[in-house]
Amino acid sequence: MSESRLFRRTFDALPEIFGFTETFFARQGVDREILITVDFVVEELFTNMVKYGAAADPGSEVRIEIEAVEGGVEVLLADSGVEPFDVTGVPDADTGAPIEERRPGGLGLHLIRRLVDSWDYEYVVERRESRIRFKKTLAGKAAQDGP
Amino acid sequence: MLAIEQGAQGVVVVKGRLDAAQCPAAQSFLDKAQGTVSLDCSGLEYISSAGLGVLLKTQKRLLAAGGKLRLTGVNRHLQDIFQYSGFDQILEIEPAR
Repeated sequence: MSESRLFRRTFDALPEIFGFTETFFARQGVDREILITVDFVVEELFTNMVKYGAAADPGSEVRIEIEAVEGGVEVLLADSGVEPFDVTGVPDADTGAPIEERRPGGLGLHLIRRLVDSWDYEYVVERRESRIRFKKTLAGKAAQDGP
Repeated sequence: MLAIEQGAQGVVVVKGRLDAAQCPAAQSFLDKAQGTVSLDCSGLEYISSAGLGVLLKTQKRLLAAGGKLRLTGVNRHLQDIFQYSGFDQILEIEPAR
């Protein structure tokens, strides 16, 4: 069973998005233990789309689709009218750098990689659509270490 | 939603979710903090990478002036995010009991 919704390309959409995930978890009986991690990953991917989608088609929205799977969820974020950018290929941040060398930003994708069971990127040329899908389950490897 | 306010004995109390939409309010509040600042996170449920940016900017400013940021009551989600991002090396963190 899956549910899908469109969200405005703005940070102000975050409360609506968190409401969408929470309602889905409740309706589908998904274990809330992984909800905060799912919200985290969705926020990181969505805000990237907001920040770097400035050249996207005016009025375009981001589609978020959640599907219940055994022990967790699969989530798809689809961003139409954009240029391709494979977020899964971005190198890790240097988390050992001293504070003097630290700059805000660049940590979101680094953290996602450690929190999800799996993630992948696909670009649909005809629709100029970036599609990022991730899976998070209680039994996943990240669940042993992550929230 | 996020609530951030001055508590007793100079402690800053933060509650709710520090997501990208709430960061401007949190940054604006913390920009006024001086010296060694104790941030009570026992009511902070969630932080994203945007929230980490707020803490980093605050810690750098306070350290440059001889102060620092100290986090208390840090829950499991926050501890994991701090560990995976290396922030446990640049912030003083006291886990929730």
